[in-house]
Amino acid sequence: MVNFEEVDLDELKQKWAEHDRKLDLNIHLNRQLLLATNLNRVRSPLRRMAFFLGLEAAIGVVVAIVLGGFIHDNIGMARFVMPAVALHLWVIANIAAAIRMMVMALQIDYDKPIATIQKQLEGLRAVRIRVTQWALLTGQLVWWTPFMIVALKGFFGIDVYRFVGLNFVVVNLLFGAAVIPVAIWLSRKYGERVGQSPFMRRLMRDLAGYNLNAATGFLATISEFAGER
Amino acid sequence: MTTAELQGRFQSLIEEHKKILYKVCNSYCRNRDDREDLAQEIIVQLWRSFGGFDERYRFSTWMYRIALNVAISFYRRESTKARHVLSDNERVLEAVDERANPPDDIQLLYQVIDGLDPLNKALMLLYLDGNSYAEVAEVLGISETNVATKISRLKKTMKEQLSGKTQS
Repeated sequence: MVNFEEVDLDELKQKWAEHDRKLDLNIHLNRQLLLATNLNRVRSPLRRMAFFLGLEAAIGVVVAIVLGGFIHDNIGMARFVMPAVALHLWVIANIAAAIRMMVMALQIDYDKPIATIQKQLEGLRAVRIRVTQWALLTGQLVWWTPFMIVALKGFFGIDVYRFVGLNFVVVNLLFGAAVIPVAIWLSRKYGERVGQSPFMRRLMRDLAGYNLNAATGFLATISEFAGER
Repeated sequence: MTTAELQGRFQSLIEEHKKILYKVCNSYCRNRDDREDLAQEIIVQLWRSFGGFDERYRFSTWMYRIALNVAISFYRRESTKARHVLSDNERVLEAVDERANPPDDIQLLYQVIDGLDPLNKALMLLYLDGNSYAEVAEVLGISETNVATKISRLKKTMKEQLSGKTQS
């Protein structure tokens, strides 16, 4: 038995070596299970993320093409073109963000040194959080009133302005803009109480900025860890 | 080499170095099911990178680099993961001497490792496993001087922590 008050790391290293020798006998690797698992078909979390980002970008391209067609068809009517352009810009920015993250994810090679890879991973996490914040906060601006105007006109030929007037549209947009700080405040105050869903918890923490703070904090830790002499 | 031969060689190497897998999983996860999830994730990543493994280098160094990278990444996102419970025949890695019942000194050592941040955990594991400063530096991607400085700092911190733990 070691006297811990007098112990140092080198003595524990010896203890660790003894532990290591015992592990040879104690650990059981389930080769049957390993053989049964088709390792080629299992996607790593990063590959899965890259796949879904690619899918998101592809869907975005289809939406951008449809919106482009709408803008072309209504080029002379600013009241339809403006909301469509707002949506178009949002979709294009989203495609660019998805492609950027997909490239970042695919460039990560776990075979590289830890300081390098962890910096890349945390950088990717920071970008993802910023994109989520941006998409959620600006999305509710463009995917409500502008989307309604474009969708009703594009799919059913209905001119929303004939029913609600310009003032209604402007008030809705202003309301949407006012919701942004309220949404951030609510996510910070009640974000932790939205239930047990890990997805919702992550979304709330993204929105509140906690996850971004954690990511930038860890990036600083990595730089400090790698940079100290 | 055919895929089957490659997979066979891979499994033999993993069997030979399963202790690395066990020690990394134990150092980064407290929960038994999380440890199993992490072990599986590391094996998948090792297999994905196995094609690029250069046989001139030590397999253990290469395995450590990938296992620690996956473990740190897993640890960083662990709090947002959905939990699921596994049955014993679904576990790829199992130890007779579970983490709950190791000798006192090893248990204490694991507790001290638990208290370190994920990067220093990696450093500590590599050091305890008897890797040279050059190997530790290679895996971590920092200079050998930096490794030496950090080890000496860790020794000091650990001594303080261990004497604190035994006094309390």
